[in-house]
Amino acid sequence: MTAALEAINLSVERSKQTVLKDVTFGVAPGEVYALLGGNGAGKSTALLTFLGLLTPKSGTIRVQGRSVSDDLTAARRVTAYLPEAATLYEHLSAHENLAYFLSLAKAATDRAALDRALDRVALQPEARDKRLGSYSKGMRQKVAIALALLRDTPILLLDEPTSGLDPIAIDEFNTLVRSLADDDRAILMVTHDVYGACQVADRIGLLRKGELVGGFDRPAEGRIDTEAVHAAFAGRAVA
Amino acid sequence: MSGFGRELWFLWRDRAAKVWLLIGFAAAGLAVVFGLMEIAAQRETIERLKTADEIERAVTTEAHREDWGSAAYYTFHLSYDAPEAFAFAALGQRDASPWKHRIRMLALEGQIHETDAANPDFALIGRFDFAFVAAMIAPLILIMLLHDLRSGERASGRYNLLSATSADARMLWLSRAAWRVGALAFVLLVPLWIAGFVSGAGAPKLLGASLALLAHLLFWWAVIACVNTRTWTSTVNLTTLIGLWLAFAVVAPAAIKAGVDAAIEVPEGGDIMLTQREAVNDAWDLPQEATMKPFVERHPDMAPYAAIEGTFEWKWYYAFQQVGDQIAEPLSIAYREGRARRDALASRLTWLSPPAKLERALQRLASTDATAALQYEDEVRAFHAELRAYFYPPMFRGEPVTDAMLAERPNFE
Repeated sequence: MTAALEAINLSVERSKQTVLKDVTFGVAPGEVYALLGGNGAGKSTALLTFLGLLTPKSGTIRVQGRSVSDDLTAARRVTAYLPEAATLYEHLSAHENLAYFLSLAKAATDRAALDRALDRVALQPEARDKRLGSYSKGMRQKVAIALALLRDTPILLLDEPTSGLDPIAIDEFNTLVRSLADDDRAILMVTHDVYGACQVADRIGLLRKGELVGGFDRPAEGRIDTEAVHAAFAGRAVA
Repeated sequence: MSGFGRELWFLWRDRAAKVWLLIGFAAAGLAVVFGLMEIAAQRETIERLKTADEIERAVTTEAHREDWGSAAYYTFHLSYDAPEAFAFAALGQRDASPWKHRIRMLALEGQIHETDAANPDFALIGRFDFAFVAAMIAPLILIMLLHDLRSGERASGRYNLLSATSADARMLWLSRAAWRVGALAFVLLVPLWIAGFVSGAGAPKLLGASLALLAHLLFWWAVIACVNTRTWTSTVNLTTLIGLWLAFAVVAPAAIKAGVDAAIEVPEGGDIMLTQREAVNDAWDLPQEATMKPFVERHPDMAPYAAIEGTFEWKWYYAFQQVGDQIAEPLSIAYREGRARRDALASRLTWLSPPAKLERALQRLASTDATAALQYEDEVRAFHAELRAYFYPPMFRGEPVTDAMLAERPNFE
């Protein structure tokens, strides 16, 4: 199967520092791939490179088989992006934020569709017409997730998507991510949440100082072994 | 939400932008109201003076008709430069240069320049008129509206989301900025057009002023866009842009003025007045021939009547008034030519300062620039020459004052 997202020997520099070094991985449709790493490992850099917001120093980035640098517009059209601690417009309501960003993406929608997406992320109906300035961090994140859902794209790029969510919301979100993948979407998620990654991902790539230093695949039954991933993340051998 | 209306709607929901636009509207509104009031006051002054001048001339004419010398000596003549309908937008030189004189048939140059005095309140920044708002305040408001267009989004973590979500990110920033520029132009121009229709300024002038303002805003938009291409913070952007505003709007005009003044010397109006008055005062102590000779050279048609028989004759008196003007003439010509050359050089150099260029353009449209001020001085000189041409022949020939002749006395129109 053709990978929806591919990074081939990808190296990226930011402020003259090499942030990603010769990284290669792919994400197939229906698959959740988690890039796991600590602060400064290069996780977000990988996402921004897929979005064409950063230019590779070397290597290739492909979205649905086409080089991002050759057709950035096409790549963005099929990609929804959920930034870390997404800050939508605080002076607008949830409905207004969603309508605004969907209009930017030229995605046709109506209020009923907005409400369905907000139902899906469990945002209270009475809050939807209030300004985001009055929302908690978790509520704002839910609106951003609803936006990613409403884009209805075959590829989702999630940057620390559960940051700021409470444990129940995290479980709900992980369930949602799994159901989206089951709808044949390719999902690339970057996170430092080992437990969340193991719960939801089909494969995990471990990034350390810009290099892909390990990988884990979900077994045919069950989940990726959290303990093993945690040990690798912490740089110690598994007992 | 359509792409076209989206950014307009977004602007409408931006409280800070609305506050700045409201400030722009209030500033433009106040400026045109002040301008209309000032022009109305100037017109009222002219009408009041015209009425008073007619009454006074009738009284003095009746009281001093024993000879032409007395009739000329005691009669004042009002001259004025009535403001154009569009002058409310740019008061220009009307603050610094006189727009009304009460002149007599004495030496003229002193009368023209006796009110020359720069108003220190207005010398630096000018009056609060529409030209000032458009040239100085509008760029500041535009800077406030645009300086953090991208940097603000970066700081709040939305920039990547906006770029990644937008089907055409360049159009997003372009349309977001364009609506702000357009909205600012709208709030500035609406008061101008309303005031223009109230005052009776023609559509061509209003259109010309609107185009000049739009060109000015486009210049500042380009400047701000250049700064915004850097990935600086909003604070750095704002500081840089305020620095550029200071350079273009304050430092450059001051440097241009200083450079032009240094490059082209122009006699002071006070020097002209002093030269003329000293010449007139000295004439009392000089032999009468010393006055009549240069006078006759200028007026050969008066030669047959130039002999002075007594210790005082009006024709000698008026001759040394005229000779006073003749002695001051080189200075006066240098003054007029110098001011015109300074104006021409400043006009070229103000391309370096778009705010100054805009002010000049609006003052030209309003006929309140240096050219208009010099033209008014020339009109006063022409009128004074008419007075001399009217009074000299009967005065020198010793003819009696008649009602028929008085009815033909020139009036300034």
